[in-house]
Amino acid sequence: MECKNAQNMLEAYLDGELDRDAARALEAHVDACAACREALSGLDELRRALRAGGLRHIAPAALRERIALAAAAQRPPHRRAPGSTWLRYAAACLLAFGAGGVSVHMWNSAQGADSALSHDIFAGHWRALAAATPVDVVSSDRHTVKPWFAGKLAQAPLVQDFAEQGFALVGGRLDYLGAERVAVLVYRHGQHLVDVFVLPAAANLAAASEQQGYRLQPVRLGNQPAAIVSDMDAQEFSRFVTLLGNAR
Amino acid sequence: MSPAQASGWVGELARQHLDAAYNLGRWLLGNEHDAADAVHDAYLRAERAAQTYAGGNARSWWLAIVRNCCLARLSTRKRETHLHSVDGPATTHGLTSEVEERVHAAQCNTLLAGHLRALPVEFRETLVLREIEDLSYREISDVLGVPIGTVMSRLARGRALLQKSLGASPAQEIGHGM
Repeated sequence: MECKNAQNMLEAYLDGELDRDAARALEAHVDACAACREALSGLDELRRALRAGGLRHIAPAALRERIALAAAAQRPPHRRAPGSTWLRYAAACLLAFGAGGVSVHMWNSAQGADSALSHDIFAGHWRALAAATPVDVVSSDRHTVKPWFAGKLAQAPLVQDFAEQGFALVGGRLDYLGAERVAVLVYRHGQHLVDVFVLPAAANLAAASEQQGYRLQPVRLGNQPAAIVSDMDAQEFSRFVTLLGNAR
Repeated sequence: MSPAQASGWVGELARQHLDAAYNLGRWLLGNEHDAADAVHDAYLRAERAAQTYAGGNARSWWLAIVRNCCLARLSTRKRETHLHSVDGPATTHGLTSEVEERVHAAQCNTLLAGHLRALPVEFRETLVLREIEDLSYREISDVLGVPIGTVMSRLARGRALLQKSLGASPAQEIGHGM
C-alpha cells in the first residue's frame, strides 16, 4: 500500500469504517511505516482526549420534565380510550371464548409488530433505491462481503452469489430496522435491485406483503430469518426465494 | 401509522436520546437555556412530523430535527446580535448557566473544550456526533444531510484543526484525566 493512500485511510480505520480486508492491508502498512504509525497514534491520542469524559453535556432534569409534560399533553385522553375499550373487549372475548379468544388476541398483536417490521424493511429498500449507491461495500465476491459484515455485526450472514442463475451479488450494506443494525445483501436481477434483509433471530415476519408494487417475502437464510424485497415479477421472485432458501 | 401510535413513539424516542439531543444543542448554541429551548422546539416539531417519518434510523431522524432547530436559533441570534451590536455583544447567558458553565469547565479538559468550541460549526458538529455521540459515518450523513464523503472530509479537517490548535498550546494539558 502506498503511504499516501494509507494516510487517507487512517481515520476511517480508527472510526471502524473500513472493511476487514482494507483494515488488514492498512495494518500491514502501518506495521512497516513509522510516519503512519505516528499519525495514527496522534489521531488516537486526540480521540482519547475527546472521549476522556467531561465534554458530553447531560440534559438537565428541568428539560427532561419539560419534554415529559409536552409528551403527556400530546396524548389527549380520547386517543387512549379506544385502546382500553379494545382491551375490555378482548377480555370479554377471553371470558366468552376461552382458549380460542387467546389465540385471536395473540394473532392480533403479532400482526401489529409484523407490519411495523415490514414497514421498516420497505422504507429501507426505498431509501437505498433513492441513494447514490445502494451498497456500502461493493463486491461480487462473497469472500469480501461476508468479512465486511463480520467486522460490524455479531453474526455475519450467509453470503452466496447467484450470478449464474441470473441474480448477481452486488454487495452489502448496513441498515436499521427500528434501532437494530442489520445486514442487507444486495443482488441485481436485470433492471431490478433485490435486497435481502437479514433479520435478528427474534424477528418473526410471518407473511409476505406488498406495497406500491414492491413485494416482501420472508425466507430462511441458513439459520437466520431474512426478508427479500424487490419489484421483480412473481415468477422471478419465487425462483429467487428457492435459490436463497437452498443456500448453504 | 395512526396518530395515537405516533405520539407514543416520538415521546419515547425523545426521552431515550435526550442527552444526545441536549449535548448537540449545547455544542451548537453554547448555553443551557438556548439548548434546552431548541430541544423542546425539536420535540414539538418531531411530533408534527411523525406522520411523515419514512422509517430508518430514528435517532438520526430525531437528531436531524434537533440540529435544524439549533441552526434556526443560531441564525436568529446572529440577526439580533447584529441589531444590538451598538450595545456590545448580546449576552444570552443567564446567571445560573454561567455558574454552571464554570463548574463544568473546571471538571473537564478546559483547553480541549475551548478549542472544540472555537472550531467552525460544521467541523464542530461533525466531531461532536462522531467522537462524543459515537455515530457512524452513515448516521452522521443522515443527521447533517450531506454525503458520507463530506462527513469524512469534515472529520479530517476538524481533527487536523484541533490537533494544530492543541499543538500550539501547552502540551501537558492534553490527556488530562485519561
